[in-house]
Amino acid sequence: MASRRRMLLKVIILGDSGVGKTSLMNQYVNRKFSNQYKATIGADFLTKEVQFEDRLFTLQIWDTAGQERFQSLGVAFYRGADCCVLVHDVNVMKSFDNLNNWREEFLIQASPSDPENFPFVVLGNKVDVDGGNSRVVSEKKAKAWCASKGDIPYFETSAKEGFNVDAAFECIAKNALKNEPEEEIYLPETIDVASGGRAQRSTGCEC
Amino acid sequence: MSSDSSPSSSISDGLADLNSDPQLVDKRFDLLSLNEPTELERNHPGNGNEIADGSLSPERNNNVAEDEDRLRVGDQRISGEEGLSSPSSSGYAGGRGSSSVTGPSRIGETGEIDDNEIQKLRNDGSLGGITGSYASWVPGKRHVDEDDASISWGKRKKHFFILSNSGKPIYSRYGDEHKLAGFTETLQAIISFVENGGDHVKLVKAGNHQVVFLVKGPIYIVCISCTEEPLESLKGQLEFIYGQLILILTKSINRCFEKNPKFDMTPLLGGTDVIFSSLFHLFSWNPATFLHAYTCLPLAYASRQAAGAILQDVANFGVLFAILMCKHKVISLVGAQKASLHPDDMLLLSNFVLSSESFRTSESLPICLPRYNPMAFLYAYVHFLDVNTYLMLLTTSSDAFYHLKECRIRIEVVLLNSNVLSEVQRSMIDGGMRVVDLPVDSLPRSGSSHLGKQRLTSDSPEMPRESFVGIGGPAGLWHFIYRSIYLDQYVSSEFSPPLNSLRQQKRLYRAYQRLYASMHDKGIGPHKTQFRRDENYVLLCWVTQDFEFYAAFDPLADKALAIKTCNRVCQWVKDVENEIFLQGASPFSW
Repeated sequence: MASRRRMLLKVIILGDSGVGKTSLMNQYVNRKFSNQYKATIGADFLTKEVQFEDRLFTLQIWDTAGQERFQSLGVAFYRGADCCVLVHDVNVMKSFDNLNNWREEFLIQASPSDPENFPFVVLGNKVDVDGGNSRVVSEKKAKAWCASKGDIPYFETSAKEGFNVDAAFECIAKNALKNEPEEEIYLPETIDVASGGRAQRSTGCEC
Repeated sequence: MSSDSSPSSSISDGLADLNSDPQLVDKRFDLLSLNEPTELERNHPGNGNEIADGSLSPERNNNVAEDEDRLRVGDQRISGEEGLSSPSSSGYAGGRGSSSVTGPSRIGETGEIDDNEIQKLRNDGSLGGITGSYASWVPGKRHVDEDDASISWGKRKKHFFILSNSGKPIYSRYGDEHKLAGFTETLQAIISFVENGGDHVKLVKAGNHQVVFLVKGPIYIVCISCTEEPLESLKGQLEFIYGQLILILTKSINRCFEKNPKFDMTPLLGGTDVIFSSLFHLFSWNPATFLHAYTCLPLAYASRQAAGAILQDVANFGVLFAILMCKHKVISLVGAQKASLHPDDMLLLSNFVLSSESFRTSESLPICLPRYNPMAFLYAYVHFLDVNTYLMLLTTSSDAFYHLKECRIRIEVVLLNSNVLSEVQRSMIDGGMRVVDLPVDSLPRSGSSHLGKQRLTSDSPEMPRESFVGIGGPAGLWHFIYRSIYLDQYVSSEFSPPLNSLRQQKRLYRAYQRLYASMHDKGIGPHKTQFRRDENYVLLCWVTQDFEFYAAFDPLADKALAIKTCNRVCQWVKDVENEIFLQGASPFSW
C-alpha cells in the first residue's frame, strides 16, 4: 500500500469544448487510454506525477467532455475531487463567460464540504495564437474574475510552450497540501456488552 | 447427521437402494441429460452458455497454467523494462503520448495473448513442479513495480482491485496502486456510468477475460480474470475480500467516506498486503471458499470432547468465542450462550491470524467478524501452542487481556495433560481420510469405526471383482469432498497419487468449483446428481437435504462402479463421523 509520503489527488478539468484542454493534457500527462472513452462515458482518464517539496503527488485527472448528455454524471465524476481546473480560450469570449457556469455547476454537483475554499485553478489557453492578435480576453480581465471568486490562481498557457502547465499542477499540489485535513484517528465502535452484543444478522450486501 | 439411524434414512433419493440393482443405477443416471459427453461439443468458450450449464469445454487445454502468478507469454521476454518501460517513481516520462501498441491493459485486446503458447517462467516464488507442498508460495505482495503499462501486468491471470467510489485506488493485487490511478478511475467511471442509467454493472466479458464488479457502499471491488472460473465463484471471492477488509476495519469505515468523499483509506490498511495475498492464495486451494463450510482436524472423539469441555469452561466466563485450530482446520470451537460463528468469518479470521506476524508477537488485537457484527470490533486474544496450533479467544471487552491470558494457561494445561496436543500433532501428519483406505464392504456398521483401520484386502470375501483403473482408490477414485449441511462442515480426502502435484490439485479444485456452481445454478438448478466425464476426470456430484458429495475419478472409470463407490464413501463418512466432524456445534441459522 502507498506510503504516507505519496498523495493521490483527484483533479477535474472543465471547460467548453474547443478550448484546447485535451491538447494541453495530451502533451503533459501520461495518457494511458485513448480519447474514445470521452464520447461514450464522458471523460478521459489521465495521470501525472508531480514532485512538490519532498512529497510525491499522483494527480488523477478527469478530462471531462462538455456535452449535455453527460451532465447527470457530474455527481459521480466529481465525487472526492481535490481540485478543479477551469480552462478557457483567450481568443473566445464565450469560453471565458462560461467559466462562471462551469464553476457553479461543479460546486453544485460535487458539493464540497467547504465551497468557499475549494481549490480552483484557471487556465487561459491558446495565448500564442496569431501572435496574440486575436486575443479577446485580457490577462487583467481574467485575473480580476479570478480574484473575485476567492483568489483563484491564474495561469496563461499554450499547448506549444506549456511550461505553465507544470506550474499550474504544482500549484494544485500546493493548494491540496494547504487543505489537507487533519489526520483523524479512526475509532469504530466496540460492541455494547449490555445489549448482548448481537447486531442484526447480516443478510448479505448492506450497502 | 444423526449417528444412530440406518443409512438409507439419511440418504435421500434412495441412491443407496440402487446399490442392489445396477440397472436402476444406470437408468437413474441416464435420466440426467445434463452432461453426457455428446453434449459437450455444444459448449464453446465465449458463447456465454458455459456458465449456465457449467460443462467443461472439450477444447480445454491441459497446458493451461493454473497458477495465476505465472505469466503466459508468447515470444516476449517478461521484463518491465522492455520497450514500454515501467516509469520510475519520480514521474512518468513526459511526451509518451498515446499508449503502447500492445496495449495490454485494454480490456478486449487480448488477441496477442496466445493460449497455446504457454511457457512457464520462473518468477520469484514460482511453483513449478513441486509436489503437494504449499510451502513454496511466497506471501506478500509481488511485482510492486508494475502498472497498467507493463506488459507483464497485463498478462496476470487474475487481478483484484479495491477502489473508492471517487475512483481512488486503495489496493491492487499486482502493481503500484498510485500508478494504477488512471485505471481505477476508469473502473469507477464505468460503474458510475451504468448506475447513472439506473442499472448496475455486474460482469463484463471481453475475449477470455471476465471483469466482475462488486459495489459495497463507497467501496468498489473488481476482479479481472481469465481463469475461466464461474461468475459465482469470482463474486464469492470478491465478497471474501470485502469481508477481510471489514474484519480489519469494521464497516464503520463507510462513515468516513460519508463525512469526506476524499477520504483516503489506504493508510488504514498499512501492513496488510500479506493478509490479502494470503486470502487470494486460499481461493486456489481451499474448498471452504466456495462451500462456505469449515473442516475439522480428524481426532478421536474423546480428545475432541476434552478440548471442547475446557473451551466451554472458558466461554462461560466472559469469552464470546473460544476456538482451537490447527492451521485451517478446527479442533474445537465454542460460542458463549449459543452464539454462533459463521464459516466465512472463521476463514477470514484464521487467514488473518495465520498470515500476519502480528499475532505471533503481540497477543491481542481488535478484529471485526463481518457476519456476526460488521459495525464493531471484538478483541481477539491469540496464542500459538505450537507452530501450527493456535487458540483464539474472542471477547467484547477491551480490558480482558489478563483474564484471557489466564484462561489460555488453563486451557494449555488441560490440553497437555490430556495429550490432546500430541494427538493433534500426529493427526496433522497422518490423520485424514485417504481414498485407498475406503472400506471394502458397504454394509452398515454398528458402533464406532476408526479411520485408518480398514485396509482393502484382496482375500476379503466381499470384495467385488472390479478392475482397478489406474492408481487411486477403488474404481479409480482419486478424491472426494463430503459436506454435511446440518453441521456446516466438510471433509476432504487427503491428496495422493496421481494428484500429488500442486498443479493437479489446483486443477481439481477448479473443477470442483465449476461443478459446485453448476449444481447450484439459480438459472437451471438446483440439481440433485451429476455425472460428468472429460479428458481429465470423471466427476460425480450428489446433493441431498443432508449432505453434498463431490468425487473425482480416473477419467476411464466405470460409471456404475463409480456410483457404487460414492455410496461406499458416504457410508464410510457416516461411520467415522465422530472423528472427522465436530458434533454438537451450534447449527447456523443464517
